[in-house]
Amino acid sequence: MVNKKLNIAIYSGNIPSTTFIENLIEGLSESGFGIYLFGKQTKVVSYKGDVKIFSTPISDLKLVIFVMKESLKLFFKDSRLLFRSLKKICSRKKKLKIFFTEAGAILPILNNPPDIFHIQWAKTVEQYPELFELLNCKFVLSLRGAHINYSPLNDINLANAYRKTFPIIDGFHAVSEAIGNESVKYGADKTKVKVIHSSVREELLKKNSELYKGEESLRVISIGRHHWKKGYHYALDTMKALKDEGINFKYTLVAQGEIPEEILFMLEEYKLHHNVEVIKGMAYEKLIEKLQQSHLLLLSSVEEGIANVVLEAMAVGVPVITTDCGGMNEVVEDKVNGYIVPVRNPKILLKKIKEFISSNYDFKTLMTTKAKQTIIEEFSREIQINDFKNFYYSLNK
Amino acid sequence: MKQIGLVLPNAPQYSETFFNYKIKGLQNSGFDVTVFSGKRKNEKYFFKHFGAYPVYSGKPFRQFVQLVFILLITFVRSPYNVKNLFTAERKDGNSIMESLKTVYINAHILPHKLDWLHFGFATMSLKRENVAKSIGAKMGVSFRGYDINIFPLKNKNCYTKLWKNIDKVHTISDYLHTKALKLGLSKEINFVKITPAIDTSLFKLKDNLGKIKNPLEILTVGRLNWIKNYETAISAMKILKDKRIDFIYNIIGEGIELERLKFAVHQSGLNDRVFFLGKLDHAKITEKMHRSDIYLQPSLQEGFCVSALEAQATGLLCIVSDADGLRENVIEGITGWIVPKRDPDAFAGKIIEIINLPDVKRKDIALNARKRVEDDFKIEDQKIKFENFFKE
Repeated sequence: MVNKKLNIAIYSGNIPSTTFIENLIEGLSESGFGIYLFGKQTKVVSYKGDVKIFSTPISDLKLVIFVMKESLKLFFKDSRLLFRSLKKICSRKKKLKIFFTEAGAILPILNNPPDIFHIQWAKTVEQYPELFELLNCKFVLSLRGAHINYSPLNDINLANAYRKTFPIIDGFHAVSEAIGNESVKYGADKTKVKVIHSSVREELLKKNSELYKGEESLRVISIGRHHWKKGYHYALDTMKALKDEGINFKYTLVAQGEIPEEILFMLEEYKLHHNVEVIKGMAYEKLIEKLQQSHLLLLSSVEEGIANVVLEAMAVGVPVITTDCGGMNEVVEDKVNGYIVPVRNPKILLKKIKEFISSNYDFKTLMTTKAKQTIIEEFSREIQINDFKNFYYSLNK
Repeated sequence: MKQIGLVLPNAPQYSETFFNYKIKGLQNSGFDVTVFSGKRKNEKYFFKHFGAYPVYSGKPFRQFVQLVFILLITFVRSPYNVKNLFTAERKDGNSIMESLKTVYINAHILPHKLDWLHFGFATMSLKRENVAKSIGAKMGVSFRGYDINIFPLKNKNCYTKLWKNIDKVHTISDYLHTKALKLGLSKEINFVKITPAIDTSLFKLKDNLGKIKNPLEILTVGRLNWIKNYETAISAMKILKDKRIDFIYNIIGEGIELERLKFAVHQSGLNDRVFFLGKLDHAKITEKMHRSDIYLQPSLQEGFCVSALEAQATGLLCIVSDADGLRENVIEGITGWIVPKRDPDAFAGKIIEIINLPDVKRKDIALNARKRVEDDFKIEDQKIKFENFFKE
């Protein structure tokens, strides 16, 4: 049976979006889906395949004209829907500017309804709750990191918005089993949750890295923005202990943004200036090179969906130590394709690093080979796109 | 009558006991106190108050008009002081424009005749280093934890100019003075240690000293900030829970780390044990202290920590980290306990040790702590020390 071509809206609010969402757009359009993109366009982008962009202007004047134009369009198409929409938007938002911003976001979607509206960031459900009543199509929601794992803990309105909308969503895409389970707490139907892993760029799999032999200084690296969830303060506790044990090492932290006071304070207190280097972000290609020059990738986070940087390290053959947070234990099996340690525990982390140092070269080779295999078997682009294909078609039956 | 100018970020509110006591004490000792703060406000205070002239960022024209106007007025009122400050700034290598700006941001201080210009925080003295000298006053500065321990990390050598102009230092702990010497303060500069003081009439001793409740009630009071290191306390609570100890941990305070800490509580399975009570007023805090058994202060850094002192005055069993000023706040094994910072096992272990102590022993510690606060941290002593500080 030949499936009807499906039009999928990949909604993140921004065009272009983050790297992994852009990868998804590319992969889906290549495999024959029609892709609709809505939201604010910040850069000129061109896509291969059937990708339609319906961008909402940013400047005030253009926005007003845009809203009038879209209203007119909808009036001729379905005047009752237009009046219902405007009423809904008016009832919730009091300020004129917010009204236009919201109408500018919603009307183009109503004028160009997709078969499946795929929301990339869960917070959108709080921002545009009207969509679920106005738009007649299937809704898919991606469950990613912070939006599910901790933001609703401290934001009661967000948690309530989740509880209200999750039960009416048709399908959930979870980046890991763990985050899928977390969404059930907000009323998601477990049977509607499909775990689809992210994928790693294929060219990374062709790369290899040199393993630690034991004579040289150990080069440890962590990559990711400065944020409490990355647990860098726990990593530095461990580095202090490594230094106290007289181990010859260098720790590189590649993190965008200003170095937080907390980190500066620790570097000073622990006198780690000779052992620790903090780099404020790097271009992607350079970053991969830097990663390949390292002996060990350390993920010290307390919260993650599945950290891409661990997948990338495994792909290029750099051994990994990760904390057991979010879905990391769905990727890494201790002493098989990497090491896994409990969160918030610098003492055990230290033990693991020492275990890695004293393991023999053959074991390291075997471990990185297995890691690469894990990526090929479970995190390839092909599998990811195929899973999405089956997922979307199963919804549209 | 001696004139003292006190430079603070804000005029102290009713609840800010430290500065209010300090000001009242000085007034009672016969000083005339003027407070210079960052904002002009039409509020009644029990002291003279002058706020800085506003800075209109993003409105260059308005700022320019204001600048010219205020500079003129200030110059008419105190031509020599303005000239002195301007020349001193030029001598330090600042451009004409920068020097004029410095005059503008100090224009609310310049016309006053003072014997002392005292800065409530070292950070308050930045861009005001030459002001005291320009108006013929002595320059005093109070050192606090954040000033000395944290701020210079991001702002290397920020105090170079201060060290050249400072006449006298007030430090709240020996530790901070030692640290300031490392940052470049000269040993020749006079310093006086005046710790915070407690009005023990406001902190009554709790009932049933020595007895502990089941479930045990543990308390911390302080901003939700990384410096306070609540994560270690929360990890310690997880250890207690794993050991099947029945307890409640209350945290009073608000701050930017709430999300981080709520997640730590959630992840550690402590939603039914750890509670964030937000910011509470003095009455509610003392009420909570009276109902608690143990007070924790897991900080990474503290200048001195008044909350830990208040807890001791109330008769709580205090466990503090070994961070800086806290080591002077509690006497290990006598008025409380000191454990290594960032060590959840040590905090949990100490709590268990306290649970297993006989009532008499716990009562002894609580009474020792109360007595030390009464003897060594008297408001009256603080008053005399500040009086002497400004007497020369």
